[in-house]
Amino acid sequence: MRRVVLKGLLARKLRLVLTAVSISLGVAFVTGTFVLGDTMTATFDQLYEGLTEGTDVTVRGESAFTDTTTLGATKPFDAAVVDRIEAVDGVSAAAGSVTGYALILDKSGQPVQPGGAPTLGASYTTPEELAGGFTLRSGSAPHGPSQVVIDAATAGKTGYAPGDRATILFTDGPRDYTVVGVAGFGEADNLAGATIATFDLATAQQVLGKVGQFDTIAVRGEDGVSADELRDRIDAVLPGGLEAVTSDEVVAESSKAVADALGFFTKALLGFAAISLLVGGLIIWNTFSILVAQRTRELALLRAVGASRRQVRLSVVAEALVIGLVAAALGLGLGLGVAAGLRAVLGVAGIEVPTTTLQVEPRTVVAALLVGVVVTVLAALLPARQATKVAPVAALRAVDAPAKPVGRLRVLLGAALTLLGAAGLGWAIADEGQLGVAGVAMLLTLAGVLVLAPVLAVAVTRLVGAPLARLGTTATLARRNALRNPRRTASTATALMIGLALVSTVTVVASSMKASVADVIADSSRADFILKAASAAAPGLPPALAEQLRGVEGVGTVAEMRLAPAQVDGGTTMVAAVDPATIEAAANLEVSSGALATLDDTSVFVSDDVAAAHGWVVGDHAEVTYAQTGVQRFTVAGTYGNTSLLGTDYVTTLGANAANGGSELDVAVLVVAADGVALEELRPGLEAVAATYPSAQLDDAASFTEAQGQTIDQLLAIVTMLLLLAVVIALLGIVNTLALSVFERTRELGLLRAVGMTRRQVRSVVRWESVIVAVLGALLGAVLGLACGAALTRGLAGEGLSVVDVPGTRLALYVVAAALAGVLAAIGPARRAAKVDVLRAVATA
Amino acid sequence: MSAPSTTSAPPSAGPPVPAAAVVAAVKSYGSGDASVRALDGVTVVFERSRFTAIMGPSGSGKSTLLHCLAGLDTLTSGDARLGEQSLTGLSEKRLTLLRRDRMGFVFQAFNLLPTLTAAENIRLPLDLAGRSLDREWFDTVVRAVGLADRLDHTPAQLSGGQQQRVAAARALVTRPEIVFADEPTGALDSRSGADLLAFLRRAVDEFGQTIVMVTHDPVAAAHADRVVFLADGRIRDELSAPTTDAVLDAMKRLGN
Repeated sequence: MRRVVLKGLLARKLRLVLTAVSISLGVAFVTGTFVLGDTMTATFDQLYEGLTEGTDVTVRGESAFTDTTTLGATKPFDAAVVDRIEAVDGVSAAAGSVTGYALILDKSGQPVQPGGAPTLGASYTTPEELAGGFTLRSGSAPHGPSQVVIDAATAGKTGYAPGDRATILFTDGPRDYTVVGVAGFGEADNLAGATIATFDLATAQQVLGKVGQFDTIAVRGEDGVSADELRDRIDAVLPGGLEAVTSDEVVAESSKAVADALGFFTKALLGFAAISLLVGGLIIWNTFSILVAQRTRELALLRAVGASRRQVRLSVVAEALVIGLVAAALGLGLGLGVAAGLRAVLGVAGIEVPTTTLQVEPRTVVAALLVGVVVTVLAALLPARQATKVAPVAALRAVDAPAKPVGRLRVLLGAALTLLGAAGLGWAIADEGQLGVAGVAMLLTLAGVLVLAPVLAVAVTRLVGAPLARLGTTATLARRNALRNPRRTASTATALMIGLALVSTVTVVASSMKASVADVIADSSRADFILKAASAAAPGLPPALAEQLRGVEGVGTVAEMRLAPAQVDGGTTMVAAVDPATIEAAANLEVSSGALATLDDTSVFVSDDVAAAHGWVVGDHAEVTYAQTGVQRFTVAGTYGNTSLLGTDYVTTLGANAANGGSELDVAVLVVAADGVALEELRPGLEAVAATYPSAQLDDAASFTEAQGQTIDQLLAIVTMLLLLAVVIALLGIVNTLALSVFERTRELGLLRAVGMTRRQVRSVVRWESVIVAVLGALLGAVLGLACGAALTRGLAGEGLSVVDVPGTRLALYVVAAALAGVLAAIGPARRAAKVDVLRAVATA
Repeated sequence: MSAPSTTSAPPSAGPPVPAAAVVAAVKSYGSGDASVRALDGVTVVFERSRFTAIMGPSGSGKSTLLHCLAGLDTLTSGDARLGEQSLTGLSEKRLTLLRRDRMGFVFQAFNLLPTLTAAENIRLPLDLAGRSLDREWFDTVVRAVGLADRLDHTPAQLSGGQQQRVAAARALVTRPEIVFADEPTGALDSRSGADLLAFLRRAVDEFGQTIVMVTHDPVAAAHADRVVFLADGRIRDELSAPTTDAVLDAMKRLGN
């Protein structure tokens, strides 16, 4: 039996490859995700290990919680603590350091902006062994208030060399320096993509606003003193609010924080991989169904010569097993390419992943092989059962087994599921905030349509095909061919449908997002101008900018907004900080209880939703945990309805933000013109100020809306690219099905050629059939996606998606693109069909 | 063994151009020692409005001769002609168009497209050519094959004999210069076979159709005006106005 299986496989090499590829792509995605995740984790681990090299114990302010939002942002403390530490028995050296915001400008005055990594200013640590591997490559260490040492990557990008003058932007404005040295982190040119400018300690403390303070103290122990022992000894002499941690602990907690942050990202990617695998599985199932149908005779012959039902079934499953293994192995290799590709995609999105060698863990290999084999075998099980159902004699006689009609039970089940799902979608669209309903309804509808697919295929093909019939005989023949085996047509088309439904859903949601942003700006922003960091990944704008803007003639109000990460009920959230005196002039928060005027440093405004969830009313107390200062008890001063503009559920004062270690940078600065001042009069003054802060982007309401739209478009493009994989797999499925159908119809094609069908006409028939199947899948997908997208958007109404926008042209474009893709998919099979040997086809009686 | 008389007849003899002909036709497969000559210097002419049967044992080259005449296969040397048109050297596409516009076909089985109705199958060559249907002629042909009430049926709903008659109607509907029938009754019971042969006979007598039929059945051959006998790729004998017995006798002689 094994020989039979292997020979069968080898006889159909091309088909094997085509079939395997659909699974390979899914497996490649899984592999790529794991490899990329592992690589990123490994990179950060290496990085943190390098940073703590030479340091045994670190002293820092205590954190109430640690994740990527708070990593490395501990509360600064009195520098005098270092004396106490040096006096501890077993300490050989201790060096304090400060870190903060410093944006290096290049020679043309543009900011050196790494993707998502921070732009750091820091003290130059001596002795070097406590500097975390930061070592000079050229020049000398910085001395005095006008000297700086920059990282090698920035030097490479800007062309700065020792002796050059460079401008650096701090929270309180720009300053000029002389570059005196260039340094790297061991082998690496920079730190996970971050730029760094280092100054001598006194200068750093001054420009970073931490005079007389340290953020951390790095301690090196004498030989023979263990890190744990040293930590305990130091801890004993530390004042309250400070802690000592070993380097191992620092690395572990940093790695965990990064892993947590990557977790979401990895899950999302695995989601895309699952979609690809689902589509791939559908295609495998379809392929095997066709193969089994075509081999009915061969399998029946096996049965007739004495193979048992079990053996025949096993032979089909074994074939799937081999294909699965080949596909998984292929996918594993492709996965490395996918990892590299994903890294590039993320780079485009502004998330730069530092480079190190790609990490292939044994877990990745096992997962890839398992997923590939399991999906393939599962998909082949049903056809395998089908293969053994036929009585040997009947099969040997059968010439062209007509397609079985779709069972009544199936129709009823499918109709019930679809109707239920459609009703759910209708509900979710009619009533906003029903995200759960929308989710369940989407799944129900999808399941229903999948079950009902053969019936829908017939209906839609008739509809789509009717106008085609006027185009001539080839189109008519194609339509008949598509209708010939509704199940086959349906499962081929549904693979495409799933991909397109997802793309359409995302498109509708994104389009609604754009419309909603425009709505929010129009409804709730009273600002005439908005300043934000030009790069979405940049941490924010120096507060000095807002101060200078206040001085511009014609400015009425300048309202700044900052953010602080904090935890409420154990979950990390962002807390916005504003000046209650200015915010009302610049934005309409739709205050529903209390008054912004009563907001002070000990109180908080919460969104209506959060207030309702906690049962808070004005005068109640809300507990917010900040990393640096721990639990803070705020009085609820009021509630507001419009969370879209600030994007947070909590609002405090700028004072409370500073006291609790929130960001000292403005995420946005809103400018309102004074009464009677025309915007065009005001603009030049604002532009002049903004010009000195090259990281700032000045927008009016219209251009801001447009910029936001572009950001959403970018996001949409990335998600679409990831979903496109499923679409590509589905198109491969069309190729596969067509190729098999052509093979099956050899005799028919021969007859057609004999009675005078030209090769061109033969190709046209195959092409039309492909287009019909593609349009069928695309139409179903677009309609499904439209409904799902609308339901999702309405479900997310609470998250600021106030408008449902249906991008009709775009969806129509998808269908047209699918039709064109159908033409492409038909190229190979059409050629094959045209090459059919007429003589052999008509002579085989 | 009697010498075949037609082999000496030149194809260009006489003013009326024959419907089809092969001259010194050689068809060999393979090369060197393994080379097989399916046709070994055959010259034969098929006159207009005549029903010719080609007979011979399996492997005699009769099907090859038909395929080469119909432009489905090409000769190794020699020439095949349709009317005055030589098929030698014609492009694949030209041959296809010749088959579509000037020839009709009836094969042994699998003559029809399963997705098309009987009527659609009959008019298929016209549709492929984008030619309009001569309604009157269509009705005449359909009446002649006795399928008027079966036109909307798909092949799966027709009996084997009915399917072959649909194929015959398709072969005639374009008013071709010649109809090639390759074992048209091979898969039919004798009753259905007789019906089909009667129809082919009528097509020749009433419509003046030219038909060339390959068969190994003496009864079928007896419906023709003339029988050409092939063996080992050569023409060995020929009968005019054959009867079943005469054909059987000729076959026996061929076997010696």
